Amino acid sequence: MLTNILALQHPHFGAIAQAWLLSKAEAFIVMANGEVLASWPPYADANAITLESDIWVGHSKIGKLCVVGLQGEEAQARLQTQAALIAAIVQSTSVLRDVTTKLIDTQDQLVAIYDLTQAMRKEIDLDKVLKSLLFETVRLVKLGAAFIIIQRSNEPWITHQYPEEMLDTITLKGMLDLVGETEQYLLLSEEDEKGNGLAFRNLLLLPISLHDENQATLGFVNKLDGDFLFPDIKLAQAIADNVGARIENALLHNNRLKQAKMQTEMELAQQVQLNLLPHEMPVVPGVDFWASSCPASQVGGDFYDFLQLDNRPFTFTVGDISGKGMPAAILMAMTRTVIRSNIYDTTLHTPEYIVGRSNEHLYDDFTEVSMFATLFVGQYQPTKKKLLYANAGHSPVVYCPLGGTARLLEADGTAVGILPTSFSENQEIVFVPGDVLVVATDGLSEAYNKEEEMFGYDRLLALVEELAAKSAKDIAAELYRTVNEFSIGTPQFDDQTVMVLKGVPI
Amino acid sequence: MEIKTRRVDNVTILELNGRFDSHTMPPVRDILQKAVLEKPASIVVNLESVNFIDSAALSALVSGMKQSRQADGDLRLCNLQQPVRMIFELTRLDRVFEILSGEDAAIEAFNNQDSTITDQ
Repeated sequence: MLTNILALQHPHFGAIAQAWLLSKAEAFIVMANGEVLASWPPYADANAITLESDIWVGHSKIGKLCVVGLQGEEAQARLQTQAALIAAIVQSTSVLRDVTTKLIDTQDQLVAIYDLTQAMRKEIDLDKVLKSLLFETVRLVKLGAAFIIIQRSNEPWITHQYPEEMLDTITLKGMLDLVGETEQYLLLSEEDEKGNGLAFRNLLLLPISLHDENQATLGFVNKLDGDFLFPDIKLAQAIADNVGARIENALLHNNRLKQAKMQTEMELAQQVQLNLLPHEMPVVPGVDFWASSCPASQVGGDFYDFLQLDNRPFTFTVGDISGKGMPAAILMAMTRTVIRSNIYDTTLHTPEYIVGRSNEHLYDDFTEVSMFATLFVGQYQPTKKKLLYANAGHSPVVYCPLGGTARLLEADGTAVGILPTSFSENQEIVFVPGDVLVVATDGLSEAYNKEEEMFGYDRLLALVEELAAKSAKDIAAELYRTVNEFSIGTPQFDDQTVMVLKGVPI
Repeated sequence: MEIKTRRVDNVTILELNGRFDSHTMPPVRDILQKAVLEKPASIVVNLESVNFIDSAALSALVSGMKQSRQADGDLRLCNLQQPVRMIFELTRLDRVFEILSGEDAAIEAFNNQDSTITDQ
């Protein structure tokens, strides 16, 4: 300590020595630990010292000032004063050095945080942000390893570590138990009781609060150059504060990506479902046919279908799966397939059989998911001029004979999936040119207007009667138009499907 | 939608109010799922103040009815308004549910059934 001051302040020591020599002293010597550090003139005899004064810094003696050839109280007092002055200079220098060290540390930290921010700002992907955070942290704080755990409410945890696979899941979980309710940081070393058995020399854990009840923990393992000291903890806290916002941004970005992916999948599902509905209308002798469907959400539970097989009656179906969205859409695809397989059977089956068999096939699955499907299956044979149908809980089905009154063809059995056995039986109506059959779904009849009035069956019956002279396509279009006009300003709550059969001369 | 539940003579009673549809159905479904675990699983759903019911709501009632019957109980309905009654008739669910004109009658039906079982 004294050597440093002597080297730095050599000319001033020289001036003090000259003053002593002018006062007839033979020599001026600076000593520490029994050794001569400097003397004026050089190589003075340390054994001939006549006056000496110790230099005290705090409670330690760091050396002494000595004079050869002079004695007396006055000279002793002068030497003591100079020793005290040098002690004060040594102390000030030491304070200045501490301050400088701290300043450098702070600057280092600022540079570290800047580096870290720069490394992370290029990334928005959560995995990459965390990887870069841990890599930079290990480098800047000089660590054996670092890890981060993000606990998200109702979602799996995210954990990352650098170097990879250094800590197993159980160890990481143990870390979280240690952090517990800690608000600032938790510092553990192998000597601590809590740190025992951790197999780490030392460990610094910092909780990071995130939005939406999410919580992250940043862990610093094994400081390479000793213990975690105050500046390390300050740096760790600064890093933790900085990464919180980054993690939140990345989580938000992740959520957006997920939503975009779901949206794409939903659009794909919509495409698949749209392709399940026939677009080309069939040419059936004796029937002008039209059908279309309009789901309330992207995918829906309504469907229509028809099959024209050689030497078999023209078979058509309309169904409505309870509920909406993806679950309804999946069951709609399933129901359509089961019905088709019953129609395609080698034996010709009537609507009653098709509905009954479909119910048997679908009952367990529908019960499992607490859903059901209303179903209307019809068959038309041109030569017989009659229409055979079975109605499993489906409405509205409107029949309007030429020049007659429109009426509802009510179901005689419950929807598919409600009872293990279907009650629906074959029903028959005359179907000749001019007759109209409209098989719609309740999304149409139960559309609401702003005054909370339902479109209802009376309006529907009157409308079909009024439109009966038009073509199937026009009747369908007018039904949609009228209902949309009625419910203008209110959202479409349910899927809407309309199938129209109009009798025409063969 | 407002849902009131209470228990009278071992019967769980649900009183619903307003529009009973896919949006308001989930809490009713959750209550029913708990109610079917009671012994006996006797449930009455009072629809006096329900002016609209859609297929999602119907499926919640059907599911509650199926589960309660599996647990030797039943889910009965009472006080159906005309538009709601019409839905039950058109879907033929009036064949599946026991529908009564008043809450007391619905509770009474359970009690009579219980005493019949005791008598046997």
